[in-house]
Amino acid sequence: MKKTWLIAGLAVAAISVGASMAFMYILPLDFRDRSPIQPLAFSHKAHAGDNGIACLYCHRYAPKSPVAGIPAVADCRACHLFISLNSAEIKKLMGYWEKREPIPWVRVYGLPDHVYFPHMMHIRAKLDCTACHGEVAAMERITRTASLKMGWCLNCHRQHKASIDCWTCHK
Amino acid sequence: MKRRTFLQLSGMTAAGAVLAGCQSQNEKLIPYLVPPDEGVTPGKADYYASSCRFCPAGCGILVRVSEGRAKKIEGNPAHPVNRGKLCARGQAVLQELYHPDRVPQPLKRSGPRGSGQFTRISWQEGLALLTGSLKELQREKAADRLALVTPQLRGTLAELTTSFMGAFGSPHHLSFELLGMDWLRTANRRSFGQASLPFYDLAETRYLLSFGADFVEYHLSPVQYGYAFGRMRQGRDTVRGHFTYVGGRMSLTGASADRWLPARPGSEGTLALGLARLILVESLFDAGSLTANGLRAETLLHTLEGYDLSRVAEKTGLTHKAISEVAREFATTRPALAMAGESVAFQTNGPESVRAIQLLNLLVGNLNRPGGVYPDGGSMAGAENSFTELLSLVAAMRGDRIRVALVHGDPVHAIPPASGFQEALARVPFIVSFSSLIDDTALQADLILPDHAALESWGDAIPLAGARQAAVGLMQPVVTPLFDTRQFPEVLLATARELGGKTAAALPHQSYPEMLQGWMRKRVGRMAGQDFEALWVDLLRQGGLFETKPGQGKGYRWVPGAPLPAPEAPRFAGDEREFPLHLQVYPSTPLYDGRGAPLPWLQQLPDPMTTVVWDSWVEINPRTAADLGIGFGDLVEVTSPQGALRLPAVIYPGIRPDMVAIPMGQGQRGGGRYAKGRGVNPLALLAATIEGKDPQPAWNATRVRVSRISGKGDLVTAGHPQGSYRSELIGI
Repeated sequence: MKKTWLIAGLAVAAISVGASMAFMYILPLDFRDRSPIQPLAFSHKAHAGDNGIACLYCHRYAPKSPVAGIPAVADCRACHLFISLNSAEIKKLMGYWEKREPIPWVRVYGLPDHVYFPHMMHIRAKLDCTACHGEVAAMERITRTASLKMGWCLNCHRQHKASIDCWTCHK
Repeated sequence: MKRRTFLQLSGMTAAGAVLAGCQSQNEKLIPYLVPPDEGVTPGKADYYASSCRFCPAGCGILVRVSEGRAKKIEGNPAHPVNRGKLCARGQAVLQELYHPDRVPQPLKRSGPRGSGQFTRISWQEGLALLTGSLKELQREKAADRLALVTPQLRGTLAELTTSFMGAFGSPHHLSFELLGMDWLRTANRRSFGQASLPFYDLAETRYLLSFGADFVEYHLSPVQYGYAFGRMRQGRDTVRGHFTYVGGRMSLTGASADRWLPARPGSEGTLALGLARLILVESLFDAGSLTANGLRAETLLHTLEGYDLSRVAEKTGLTHKAISEVAREFATTRPALAMAGESVAFQTNGPESVRAIQLLNLLVGNLNRPGGVYPDGGSMAGAENSFTELLSLVAAMRGDRIRVALVHGDPVHAIPPASGFQEALARVPFIVSFSSLIDDTALQADLILPDHAALESWGDAIPLAGARQAAVGLMQPVVTPLFDTRQFPEVLLATARELGGKTAAALPHQSYPEMLQGWMRKRVGRMAGQDFEALWVDLLRQGGLFETKPGQGKGYRWVPGAPLPAPEAPRFAGDEREFPLHLQVYPSTPLYDGRGAPLPWLQQLPDPMTTVVWDSWVEINPRTAADLGIGFGDLVEVTSPQGALRLPAVIYPGIRPDMVAIPMGQGQRGGGRYAKGRGVNPLALLAATIEGKDPQPAWNATRVRVSRISGKGDLVTAGHPQGSYRSELIGI
């Protein structure tokens, strides 16, 4: 009698371990915050939307480098020496500058190390920034709109007849 | 708490920990505070052409730099020596730049010598200390009390140090390297009347006979010869070049050979003459070559009478069959090539043995011919007796005739103590080191004026025997210096300016790059029609000045009346009964002569033959080890007439039973956290067996005995080699 219970217990344990592993495999393990709180309440809506500043004005490396780049603190300050000096967030910005500290932004879009994603090639292909980044001009706080999974990449590559060779991205 | 609750709680904690581990965090994105300079695009790499000065081969490199940081070094495809390839040592030079123990600014000794206690001072103070001591020498009319010790320099650095010492008025300028090529230049001068180094056309040869020349690891220009060896074996459709290796220890080069002749140490020259005699007896020699070199077969045969097969077989410990087979193969396969290496040269009969090996090249008529030997295009002249200079400097220091010693490099670690250098240097009242790490020499120094890392430096690298055409590699700084360091030549120029008078007049350059430009301007004189500024930019972009046509130098021709090579019987330090084994000390494949030891990539690179990592070891033949009761990894003591060292044993079938071998490079007292106190320095075992009037460094002529201490050798290997070497293939 006791033996049966033991066998049954072991079987249940094995099944539950197997099931949980399968569940973990299927489950997206990406628990990253899609819209994290940033150290500074920077509004893309105010900059890109209301004031119509072009994306590449600040993210200036996108046409020539794999990374789009985020503006240096000195770049932010250059404009805000004259614009809305009295807002609390700008005072925070100036505080960073005075402490000689870069702003520790929280990354929203990130790809694993085995993926090579060059911004410049996508800009050269005349792809709109919103295709991946969503309607940034309407966002107060940046929110990730794309899953950034391989299937999502491939979909777009197929639509635009871009190469889907493994070596295109995994190199 | 109940048992059940405890189990429940601990289960929940464990599950929570597992889940928390799976959760990925949002990373931080840190922007620049101030945007980078024009020309730097974040995320996009720039490539700078420069040169590697780790070893004398002087390969061309391309350095990948992104966001102003050097990231990766590769070979420069345009460079005639390495053609885009690069060895592990060259790749690891990157770590010199980022070494955590680099000397960040000038240091002044504050504790006793060797204690490693230094106080940080400014460059102004450091230079004032240096010039102050030199001015004092000038005031007291004792300019010859200054000594300058450097590795063997070429190009602008050689010119600069020579004119500095000349103008200051001191003859004590020592350019010494343990692995310097003096022996080969000496042999070439005696046989061919020119002290140039040979360029072996390995790629085109069909039969290679290497007498201890480990060209895959370090000999002359390893990247060039490794590449050429590949082409010799596989580069031609119908021919696979044959390779016979002569030497008591099977090196990585030896392991690449088709046939291994483990000749007795010191008998290689006799073997070469024995082969020569066989070739003459069987009339397999190239008659045209003998006539062109003014030699006659009959006289040669008469002189070589003593080298008959049975005597040679007895002296070398090889079989009649092997010797006569190799002689026939070597003479009947054209082109055939013989090379001489360090393990032959550093015997008491070294230079004559090397000449005997060169005579083989002459006999089969491959001097100045495809698949044969040419004079090297780049380094026509060089040091020929730096060992004598070392001994005279040691004598001067012992006699308290040196008051200030300027030392570049790490001679305290890299010169065998038997030469008396270390103990003599300790008598010098003021020692200045230019090391960028606190190495063994810097530990003894009173003042350290740290040099830039190679990737922060300007310079030129003239390749050593790596090409038939002349080539000058340029070095340019690929990053802005990380610390408050200054380049060694800049310090010399600044000192000269400060000293004034004759010294300043001899070195009028405002800066070292200016001197380098002026020197290059002279070299490209022929293209003077062009605008030099534009040409200079081109040269930097290309990595140097690479001529496409082979040098105009004279080919090799036997000096009329030069005596035929006559290697005498080798002599060894240590009595044969007391010290039954020959010791061979060889440059470690990753660490070279020790300059690679501070770099962790090289430390963790397993030795290609034994797979040992991070340590020193002694290689012992399985038969000898069995006789002595030594097992793999046991701690043993190796005793020579000069001293004793304890290190783990590696049972190595690729070595003669009467021989043991230890790699050099480890056993540093300084050299940063990765080198310090790791392994032993085998140079401490070497005796200075000095021959007659003309002293020669006989570093491979020491005998030792080995005894087991314990089973705890703490040997770390990347794989257990016993079992992977098949003794039936090796044949001993």
